[in-house]
Amino acid sequence: METQSFWEATTPQRPDYPTLDGGLRVDVAIIGGGITGITAAHQLAKAGKRVAVLEARRVGGGTTGWSTGNLYVPVGPYFHHIAKTRSQEVASTVAQARFTALNFIEQHAQQYSIDCHFARRPWYFFTQEEDMVSNIEKEAEALQQAGMATEFVTQVPGLRFDSVQRAVRMDGQARFHPLRYVLGLAKAVTQMGGQIYEHTTVLDLKEEEDHCLLKTTHGTVTCNQMIIATHIPIGIHSVQTVAAPYRSYVVAMRLKSGAYPDAYYWHNDKTHHAITTHSTDSMELDMLMIAGNHHKTGQASHQEYQHYFNELEAYARQHFDIASVEFRWSAQHYRSGDGVPYIGLTHKSAKRTYIATGFYADGLTYGTVAGIQLADTIAGEGSPWLEAFDATRGTNLSTAGEFIKENANVAAQYLKDIPAGQASHFSDIGPGEGKTIEVDSEKLAVYRDEHSQLHVCSAVCTHMKCIVNWNNAEKTWDCPCHGSRFMIDGSVIEGPAILNLERKAIDPTSGHLLESGGKTSGEREINNPIT
Amino acid sequence: MNLIYTSIGFFALAALLGMYLLTFVLRGKETPKAIVFSHGPMAVVGLVLLIIYIARGGPNPWESLVLFVLAALGGLYMISRDLTGRPIPKALAVGHGLLAVGGFVLLLVFAFGD
Repeated sequence: METQSFWEATTPQRPDYPTLDGGLRVDVAIIGGGITGITAAHQLAKAGKRVAVLEARRVGGGTTGWSTGNLYVPVGPYFHHIAKTRSQEVASTVAQARFTALNFIEQHAQQYSIDCHFARRPWYFFTQEEDMVSNIEKEAEALQQAGMATEFVTQVPGLRFDSVQRAVRMDGQARFHPLRYVLGLAKAVTQMGGQIYEHTTVLDLKEEEDHCLLKTTHGTVTCNQMIIATHIPIGIHSVQTVAAPYRSYVVAMRLKSGAYPDAYYWHNDKTHHAITTHSTDSMELDMLMIAGNHHKTGQASHQEYQHYFNELEAYARQHFDIASVEFRWSAQHYRSGDGVPYIGLTHKSAKRTYIATGFYADGLTYGTVAGIQLADTIAGEGSPWLEAFDATRGTNLSTAGEFIKENANVAAQYLKDIPAGQASHFSDIGPGEGKTIEVDSEKLAVYRDEHSQLHVCSAVCTHMKCIVNWNNAEKTWDCPCHGSRFMIDGSVIEGPAILNLERKAIDPTSGHLLESGGKTSGEREINNPIT
Repeated sequence: MNLIYTSIGFFALAALLGMYLLTFVLRGKETPKAIVFSHGPMAVVGLVLLIIYIARGGPNPWESLVLFVLAALGGLYMISRDLTGRPIPKALAVGHGLLAVGGFVLLLVFAFGD
């Protein structure tokens, strides 16, 4: 089964925004048209700023449209962890910010009558394992200390799980259709005079003394401030040493009974599964989703990536009356060492460049937090969340271990770049397979399609030159160092890389590289699965 | 003198890897990073051992140290260019190698000369 996002498949109308062609002068340029960028654009336009969003593909087409559509105050790294690595004050600020973001989404979905299926519902956090009970209790206490009302419950309604050891409930969380919401908010941005450009890839960005300059594929943008809302900043940034890329998986299924539970669940045993339900085209729930199986991007422990989907499906079949599997997809997230995102000025000497990253898998709410905070900061209104999310804070003593672990992992990936490929000859690569191969002292990423046609690119990531690995579930080349991902034709899908993998041409008779084959650019190919 | 001999051993291994890397740079090919990240640390270990030896006092190969430090600075500059996508100037790669060879020869003369 091909990977396909439920949100992409259930968004009926997508407006086409123009491609930037020529020069543009605005107050604020925002790179990336996901929930972070569009929320920031909305708030800035509302504050009277001239704003332009530059999206490499389609609005909402990156991680926003490949998420799981849940809005909640709790966080994957846990508030009790944040209280430990930072402070209780920071944990409380984070909780308050997420609570505000949730209300913001509800308010704007109503204000603009966005048909995004927004509905409030409870969140349950439970375990069936005795040794995970303390984790549930600590998190419930941390949420209480952060000012969020939780209560312990003995039953988890809607699920048929035996012997639940401990469960906590929190009301007032929500579900929505993230892509429809972002498209609705984008429409409001243009109505307020904001400009949105699609298929506009930023190839170079520079902060000067009195302005910022961005070069796109067909134009330039001069602005007073810029926001890099690309999930992880594009190009080379120090924040990439403290925000590690991970992938997680989602399977969407229909139930025979049609009894879809109306809640969001975290089942926290030795493995963590998120259980949620959504609706296709009305408020009526008709889709069950199971999410989980995180691993570092490009570093799957299973060679067969399908394993991750299969495991989620098996879990679902164990606990629900599954009628059919409708969609499978995966998405990327970035983890900070202390569990708190990096939102703000990109480094200590920066005056005009803002970033937002490290959202863990809680990005729809955090993206909204980031959009609000960055817009408030740029508009001069100040933000009570600045210090908690300070993007220049780097690492501290309590997160040093995590910092060392993640960066030692990156170093280990470089050490795998030995002068040999996974395959020694093109004939070792079967139809539908991708492997790295070394030809004429160059590492190549080679994919053989079902028609036996070879697709050959350089295997050297254009971000910081790690060797990409094949992802056989999504048919992509994933960089194990900083999470850049590329199509089989080498074009960038996501991550910090700006330029595509260099395309290579080979002589079919000798198997050697042709000199004229090299070509790289930032142009995104239209056959990207992520549109 | 044991420190000097161990240092020579590390520099010799670093030199072998460095020569191999130079063949990639001179042909305009991407350098294999496993070799890059082995070459550098080996040279650093050799350099640290040499510094410890010199710090102990007595006759010492300070000319060799100067050349190795200059080579190390060139190496750091090259790796920073390489990882950030800028080409490594071939003359710089050759110069880095020549400095290191010079330092190595002086070190050998100091250790084994009469």
